[in-house]
Amino acid sequence: MKSERPLRSLDELTLDSKFSIQELISRESFDVLLRSMNELFAVPIRVFATDGALFSEVGPASPLQSYLGTLPGARRSVRETVEQVKSSTPQGDNDLRLQGETGERYTVIALTYDGRPLGRAVVGPYVLPSESMPQALAQCDPLVSSDRLTQVWGEISRSDEASVARLARHLRSMLGLILFSGHRALLASNMHIASVQESFRELSEKSATLQAAYERLKELDRLKSNFLATVSHELRTPLTSIIGYSEMLVAGIAGDINEEQRDFIGTIHDKGEQLLELIKGLLDLTKLESGTLNLHKLDIPILPILKDIVHTLTPTARNKGVILSATGDAGMPTLWGDAARLRQVFLNLTENAIKFTPAGGHVTLSAQIAHVELPTDEEGPAIVLRGVKRPMIEVRVADTGIGIPESERPRVFDAFYQVDSSSTREQGGTGLGLSIVKRLVDAHDGTVEIGENIPRGAVFVVRIPCKRLSFFG
Amino acid sequence: MQLDFTARELTIKLVYYGPALSGKTTNLQALHAASSPEATGRLMTLETRDDRTLFFDLLPLTFSSEKGLSVRLKVFTVPGQVIHASTRRLVLQGADGVVFVADSREAETEHNAESFRDLRENLKQNGLSTKQLPLVLQFNKRDLPSVRTEAELTDMAAQGKEPVYLAVATKGHGVVDTFVGLLHLTWQTLDMRHGFTEKFGFESSAFFADVLGKLNDPRTLPEVLNSRVGRRGLRKEVAQ
Repeated sequence: MKSERPLRSLDELTLDSKFSIQELISRESFDVLLRSMNELFAVPIRVFATDGALFSEVGPASPLQSYLGTLPGARRSVRETVEQVKSSTPQGDNDLRLQGETGERYTVIALTYDGRPLGRAVVGPYVLPSESMPQALAQCDPLVSSDRLTQVWGEISRSDEASVARLARHLRSMLGLILFSGHRALLASNMHIASVQESFRELSEKSATLQAAYERLKELDRLKSNFLATVSHELRTPLTSIIGYSEMLVAGIAGDINEEQRDFIGTIHDKGEQLLELIKGLLDLTKLESGTLNLHKLDIPILPILKDIVHTLTPTARNKGVILSATGDAGMPTLWGDAARLRQVFLNLTENAIKFTPAGGHVTLSAQIAHVELPTDEEGPAIVLRGVKRPMIEVRVADTGIGIPESERPRVFDAFYQVDSSSTREQGGTGLGLSIVKRLVDAHDGTVEIGENIPRGAVFVVRIPCKRLSFFG
Repeated sequence: MQLDFTARELTIKLVYYGPALSGKTTNLQALHAASSPEATGRLMTLETRDDRTLFFDLLPLTFSSEKGLSVRLKVFTVPGQVIHASTRRLVLQGADGVVFVADSREAETEHNAESFRDLRENLKQNGLSTKQLPLVLQFNKRDLPSVRTEAELTDMAAQGKEPVYLAVATKGHGVVDTFVGLLHLTWQTLDMRHGFTEKFGFESSAFFADVLGKLNDPRTLPEVLNSRVGRRGLRKEVAQ
């Protein structure tokens, strides 16, 4: 992303810096400085920018010039004095001392910064403490009044040249410091802006790279889902034949077979079924991921599903020496869901529980009604609905097995994830089951969480809404 | 570089680069202390924290030859810490020459290398490279224990094309040598590119005499330039 440049670049501010006095100094603050100088030295001071514009002034206008301005014969010498002051430009630290025809004195000081002219300071008019007025002044005009002339001459500021030189020195060093500070502040603020802009540019570039990588990963993920769907589908077709023909062989349709052959074919059939389940799982997962799985939702009771699962898995549990049971209140409301898919959910969780529970342990399925507050992070309705509790059926699948470490809990629902991923792990499985569980529960607008079964084992808590709420559509 | 034809004034930008705490600011302070008041302005230090430079230091210096150009130098340092990459890139913009200030201690070798890679990368981002840009190396802090030996550095210097100077910036040793070494190299490069000598009748020797005079160094230019280590024979101009 292209960012705007700061007001002036670092190079512009340091290499070809031609500053005007107005840019670096606040006029109001400078007036204060000049007034205090005037208090100390009691002479008028005027500061001009390089273009000749008056920047700041302190002290009265010359009383002598005001008076002479009223006399036609004296106007010329006043004008010439002013012109002389205006046109003189001193070089470097060499102050220029001038005395006009009127007898008034001026000192012109060059103001510079970083070797470049910044303006001029004009000190005056003043006269030396004991200086008397020039003789010529009394004859400058026939109308001149010598009393008045003596009076205005007395009103001119008095100062000796050494004081004025001191003033010039002070003014220069004071101004140098102020200009330096001003320049420094200007540079610092510009650097702040420029650094932030540069960092922003850098971050924008990185973020664009990350965005591109993210898009690519999303695309790869989509390709993976497509691939899984295609492969699962293609695998299922020949597998159906393998299972079908092995069933026919066992049934004796192709002729008699002996016990051993029946046993072998039985194994082929069972393993084929196992493989088919795995492939179906993959297919379900891809359908769930792409959102194309159709649920046939109805008002259904939960207890028959749990009892059926206990019935189905009791032989497995018994083989492992695990006690399997289901409890629940017969008067519970129905829930809104797809019976076959919910059976798949609880079958999977119960199988898992049995798998990870050692002999002598318990696996318990219990159902009860729970009133759950609606999440408040939804937009709009959440505020209105705050405090409204939604009735849900809560099913807890609790075991007394090895449990799931807290750090692993958020990840067990990821596809293909195994808590123990070492090649020597004790339990088999593809790592697909729980991710399918999570997606099926999501598709029911429900939640699934993992808790601890005190004192030992894990408990999966699944909550499915009792009714479709009409205002949720 | 900025050239003002009407004022016959040339502004050159030199940058002191290097890892954190290698003595870049100390170099500028020593240079400021050595130079005459009429040649230098205030040393500007922009934003520091715990004695570390956050933005940069800026030392203005002005030299001139009898006739022809007056040359204004703006000498910058960059902040050394890794996190100030964007500031370093900004300061490096438009640089005419660079001094790389390395810390001579053995333990700092990796930091030096890292900072040099950073310099290259930042030059690249500014459309420059260490090949075209006048570059001088300074191995600073020669007075500290467990530094890389002079023989090792001399040997290294003899293999590279950049002039190498040894320095103890806190005592001012080698500071003027490094600076004049870079200024000379930068001047040659700019003159070759823009032909100042021809256009302005610039006298290089008079200019460098002014530089050394204002830096209060009694040596001649060849003496200063020859203080570099591991040089492969004298240049023609220097040998004269």
